[in-house]
Amino acid sequence: MSVDLAVDVGSLRLKNPVLTASGTFGYALEYDDFFDVSVLGGICTKGLSILPRAGNNPDRIAETSAGMLNAIGLANVGVEAFCTEKLPNLRARGVTVIANIFATTVPDFVALAERLDREEGVAAVELNVSCPNVDKGGIEFGVDPVAAGRVTAAVRKATKLPVWVKMSPEAGDLKGVGIACQEAGADALTAINTIRGLSIDVRTWRPRIFNKTGGLSGPAIKPIALRMVWELSRAVKIPVIGIGGIATAEDAIEMMLAGATAVQVGTASFVDPLASKKVLDGLGAYCAERNIAARDLIGRFIQT
Amino acid sequence: MSGAVTAASDCRSVRALHRVTLKDRKAIGSAYHVLTFESAEPIVASAGQFAMVRSETWGSAPLLPRPMSLLSAGKDPSILIKVVGEGTRRMAASAPGEPYQLLAPLGKSWSKIPAATRPVFVAGGVGVAPLLLLAEELASAGGPKPLVLYGGRTAHDLPLLDQLRAVSDVRIATEDGSAGTKGRVTVLLSAALDEVGVHNQLAKVYTCGPHAMMAAVAAMCEGRVPCEVSVETPMGCGYGVCLGCPVPKVSGGFLYACTEGPCLDATVIDWGHRKAGA
Repeated sequence: MSVDLAVDVGSLRLKNPVLTASGTFGYALEYDDFFDVSVLGGICTKGLSILPRAGNNPDRIAETSAGMLNAIGLANVGVEAFCTEKLPNLRARGVTVIANIFATTVPDFVALAERLDREEGVAAVELNVSCPNVDKGGIEFGVDPVAAGRVTAAVRKATKLPVWVKMSPEAGDLKGVGIACQEAGADALTAINTIRGLSIDVRTWRPRIFNKTGGLSGPAIKPIALRMVWELSRAVKIPVIGIGGIATAEDAIEMMLAGATAVQVGTASFVDPLASKKVLDGLGAYCAERNIAARDLIGRFIQT
Repeated sequence: MSGAVTAASDCRSVRALHRVTLKDRKAIGSAYHVLTFESAEPIVASAGQFAMVRSETWGSAPLLPRPMSLLSAGKDPSILIKVVGEGTRRMAASAPGEPYQLLAPLGKSWSKIPAATRPVFVAGGVGVAPLLLLAEELASAGGPKPLVLYGGRTAHDLPLLDQLRAVSDVRIATEDGSAGTKGRVTVLLSAALDEVGVHNQLAKVYTCGPHAMMAAVAAMCEGRVPCEVSVETPMGCGYGVCLGCPVPKVSGGFLYACTEGPCLDATVIDWGHRKAGA
């Protein structure tokens, strides 16, 4: 059985369309006990900042109906430690690494991209302009077409690596933001980041997470993500990478039919560390059974 | 990161997702249940380690697996639960034959009990599970018999008391006085620390229970005897990627309960830190 699962995200060819979402897969080395992560199309790292970040106070997560709220606060080791301690191990494992980066200013985004540009083994950078859980920065870039275009253009100039921009579902004009990023030289768009939500403990009348609001993820957001990926992929020419509630191969197939070139598995990895592998295996079986290539699914949603 | 903590087990087994079947569910009073599973592959774990537990019947809700201290390991791993929310309510209603997944063993176990030391355990409610397993490990290894101070709101909040009595010396406190000494378990600890002091014994305290109880126990032990706690926090993944289980450190920053805990030296924890929902 030779099933062709490869997809092209701009100039970057992925061996298959199954990636893991930033913030849900650590630095991928945590999976050594579970499976060989190099079989995946790629992994998106925890959001990297210039300096290490400790993250928000507890509680940081709360389960909600078929989903969860999180406000981790971008806890990460910092780009330097990533490059020296994590990346060599990922390189040795042959993992396709997409470095997710986060900053509060355009010059800091540029500095992160320049730092990663010097490293072997980074396949692309993904700009987190849509984190809902930090006091300052991130989402301001992601909800405004002008600001999103500005940061994308600056990073585009700073690196030879493909540049992906992670979209916020909170942008009033999602298509406008996507088009602005495309015009500024983005190679792909990732959609969607989490949706801000709130949960209150009725025993104590207090918010269930310290940050009060948190980003909603999990199966609960899948229909919203699917609709946004569908709309966005029709509005732009560059590839859209679908993310939001993907837990099974069927979810991934649905996302590709809606217009995604590749998908990211997120919260499902918390439920089962092997979730992304199972999505990949299921997708392979589906394509084999129908004698199609994975790329044949992209945007083939029948709308008549 | 936490140099103060060393895993008791030298033979760390590889964590894995085990597909198991519920073999038996035993209700203890109205709120507590012991769930015993049947696992094809034995789960090699030490007391204090935990499993992320999820029924395969849950679908998309409840979504996340639930972190549970192991009450026993091997081919028939078991957990003690108290019904507090939707996940535990479903577990308490499940019948033998139900398929579950156990991601185990996870986290760091209790540290070794130093030589010539009297182990003093302070348990509250379901917090008894990792301490009962530790007492059983000590008994089978011919180690010292622990003194267990066991507290609950009422006599109905002391699950597994008989099993505990088989492997330790138990003293009881209940807040309503329905069993043992009336009052909180910390009253018993105060007396126990005085006793070991009088006998010039070395003691080490191991505690697991409600946050407020462990904070009080940690405060009583500080500067007097070493104290190790098994923390409980909300948890997403259980294996170090979601970063949803931070434990504030006295020195600033956080430890993660799933990979650096749950068993931690009490003195590294900032107990005064306010929890969001508290």
